Amino acid sequence: MAQKLNVNGRDVETDAAPDTPLLWVLRDHLGLTGTKFGCGGAYCGACTVHLSGSPVRSCQLPVSGVSGQPITTIEALEAEHPELLDVWVKNNVAQCGYCQSGQLMSAAALLNDKPSPTDDDIDAAMSGNLCRCGTYIRIRAAIHEAAAQRAGGSAS
Amino acid sequence: MKAITNLSLTAPQISRRNFLGVSGVFVLGAVLPSCAKTPQPPVATEPFVPNLFLALEPDGTVHVTAHRSEMGQGIRTALAQVVADELDADWSRVVVDQAEGDAKYGDQNTDGSRSILLNYERLRTAGAAARLMLRQAAAQHWQVGVDEVEAANHEVTHAGSGQSLGYGDLAGIAATLPVPEDPPRKTDAEHRFIGKSIVHVDAADIVRGKGAYGADFQMPNMATAVIVRCPWLGGGVKSIRNKPNTAPGLVGIEILDPSASAGPVFNPVGGVAVVADDTYTAMRIAGDLDIEWTESENQAFSSDALQGELREALAQPGERVPNSEKGDVDAAFAADAEGMTELSATYETPFLAHAPMEPPVAVASVADGKCVVHGPFQDPQSARGLVAGWLGYELDNVTVTPTLLGGAFGRKSKPDFGLEAVELSKRLGRPIRVQWSREDDIRHDYFHASSAQYHRASIDERGHPQAWLERTAFPSIQTVFDGTATLPAEWELEMGFSNLPYKVANQRMEFTGIRPGVRVGWMRSVCNIFHAFSANVFADEMASAAGRDPIEHRLEILADGGILQVPGMQPPEGHGLDVGRLRDVIERVRALSEWDRPRPEGTGLGFAVHHSFRSYVATVLEASVVNGAPRVSNAYVVLDCGTYVNSDTCIAQMEGAVVFGLSLALHGSISMEDGIVAQSNFHDYPLLRMNEAPATQVELVPPQGRLPAGVGEPGVPPVAPALVNALFAATGTRHRTLPIKVA
Repeated sequence: MAQKLNVNGRDVETDAAPDTPLLWVLRDHLGLTGTKFGCGGAYCGACTVHLSGSPVRSCQLPVSGVSGQPITTIEALEAEHPELLDVWVKNNVAQCGYCQSGQLMSAAALLNDKPSPTDDDIDAAMSGNLCRCGTYIRIRAAIHEAAAQRAGGSAS
Repeated sequence: MKAITNLSLTAPQISRRNFLGVSGVFVLGAVLPSCAKTPQPPVATEPFVPNLFLALEPDGTVHVTAHRSEMGQGIRTALAQVVADELDADWSRVVVDQAEGDAKYGDQNTDGSRSILLNYERLRTAGAAARLMLRQAAAQHWQVGVDEVEAANHEVTHAGSGQSLGYGDLAGIAATLPVPEDPPRKTDAEHRFIGKSIVHVDAADIVRGKGAYGADFQMPNMATAVIVRCPWLGGGVKSIRNKPNTAPGLVGIEILDPSASAGPVFNPVGGVAVVADDTYTAMRIAGDLDIEWTESENQAFSSDALQGELREALAQPGERVPNSEKGDVDAAFAADAEGMTELSATYETPFLAHAPMEPPVAVASVADGKCVVHGPFQDPQSARGLVAGWLGYELDNVTVTPTLLGGAFGRKSKPDFGLEAVELSKRLGRPIRVQWSREDDIRHDYFHASSAQYHRASIDERGHPQAWLERTAFPSIQTVFDGTATLPAEWELEMGFSNLPYKVANQRMEFTGIRPGVRVGWMRSVCNIFHAFSANVFADEMASAAGRDPIEHRLEILADGGILQVPGMQPPEGHGLDVGRLRDVIERVRALSEWDRPRPEGTGLGFAVHHSFRSYVATVLEASVVNGAPRVSNAYVVLDCGTYVNSDTCIAQMEGAVVFGLSLALHGSISMEDGIVAQSNFHDYPLLRMNEAPATQVELVPPQGRLPAGVGEPGVPPVAPALVNALFAATGTRHRTLPIKVA
């Protein structure tokens, strides 16, 4: 029994079992491997995607519960937040890079919610995303820089 | 399904242009002299491949082959920087290809922070040879002397005639020339990429979700396996009480035999493999299995009991590091001389799990007498040999190719997960991906060993040690390689124990090992973690006992300048422990941290310094206790790694090392009872998070023509002792056991 999803602006169907977490539907059934498996328990945030614009841990979300709600993954983030990707690259934020899809999705959701986040806002929004390489201070700086770019861009 | 072929190799164009900062476009508009021009050489049909590491396409694209594995340390970029600099390439036309495991490359074992140390000179020569050959090719084509032509930024020019040719134009002629063995290389001042900050070659893909890690590699007709492993090491499958015969998506259930003990080296631990069409189906069925396991001697293992044995061992004389004895320690302690104070302390550190963000994973295909493996391997060459041995194949019939590694920290040097995929693919006759869960990763690691150290010293009024006895006890990594080994190896002792850099008239170094009931293995910085911890905290305790400033005191007790003569294992030639460089990083971190600037009440500064992986790192942390928990507000790190390739990578590695070090100082602890690991995921094996990460300043010591040394690991060891020392300065409480628990 196929289930209809809206992923990155496209309507798609999946025959995955209804209890399959969205993470595995994205990775195994839809071939969107940018979203990563890190813990399977919503502890690490590597699997973060946007559901109706809000950041969610896709490893904990049965696919049966997301029908009809738009899903955005890292593969489509550039269209929405090109400045975020630019500052991430320019500042060499990533080390191994495995957690960075999730970091970027959380950062984008933060900037959508708070265009000029404080350090406390960043702590609150980003502390659910683990990075074993320890790129936290570059993530913090990159979020501030992206926010400044967006503010500058909208002013001009 | 979306086809993922391999690592994406596209260069991040924007950032590279930014880095170069200048444009070659204007050169093309220059007015050329009107003398007769030689026609263009014919377009080559084959790339120019002067050596293993470099290939030049006729269109000018330069391929650099990275034979080391990328795990976030930026090695794919750094290797390309070295080759491209000596080639004098246009960085935007350089792409990086990942090498398979093959002995022709020499050492590919990407651990020990050695990639640049081992390869800097040969890669410079590889690039320089190609550059000379391109000049020779142009000179031959123009019929002028080689000395009259210059090669720069992907172009060879002849000033006399005003002619120029792109590197790609010369590929055909260059390919006909002999490869020079000793080509002229640039001076340090001429380097355009070496020593500079360049954005990593994979950065642009990573931010788009296109970085291809182990789990992203796909093959046609591939199935996914999830393995339920025995909770204790060495147990096999006695029965599966509820084995399903069929289930939607289920491909098969296979029993894998356990290895007899911790060895043979890197063999899988065995278990029940559930193979399914997709990962979730395999995980769900695996999670429902009710398995009865056979018993094993390792069920008697308790990490608490081991820790007790380590403490007991420290109360006894251990084996002595050969030639480590100076003066007469026992007589000095017995003398109880006027003005001397005796200090002693025991330090303890727990087992740790590597916990890279990407759990172990590998894809293997065994078909038609050949085996292909893709996955996050730190040493594809040794993995290839182990796979060939496992299957009884000739090496030529096995290829092992590293994907990007989603973190590794030493875990992925051990390719047990690759062998699991190989065995299952052989049995099922189709490509298999083995996907470990986080629980599998935490419970079935090659754990960083727990340890204990005992230090005893007799200090004078200035806190200077006149006698120093140090003892260390830990389960040796040798136990993985040798079923009878007990004692630590000299290379483990050389990690911060036998090369203690202090001036002391009476000294002895003793060590003990105990076999554990789990697999142990090297984790980022290895034994330096606990040896730097105990020695740096004990030195700080000497300073505080004498009421001295810790940095002032440390500078005084350092051995006299120059290369330290150490007992035990000797460093490689040219990499002896230079006490002057230790002194230098200490002086620099004192300035960087504004050590003498008063901090607010309740905030303390702590200092530690350590030489490891041939580099020198001094770290100052600023810490306090807030709401009953340690809080680190600032970190200051000075790194002297000699000649470095990518300055920003060095800084990033120090930033990351602070986070890695704080994770183990504040949170990390793995425990075992009845041979079973108690922890399973990030809720009970926490890592440092964003809200705990301190602001971090890093200073790189200028290269000064020194040999390249390690970068990935040496930043970690000073972190935990610097924190303990900072908390002592802040609160007066001395923590001697990791992780730190503030009562």
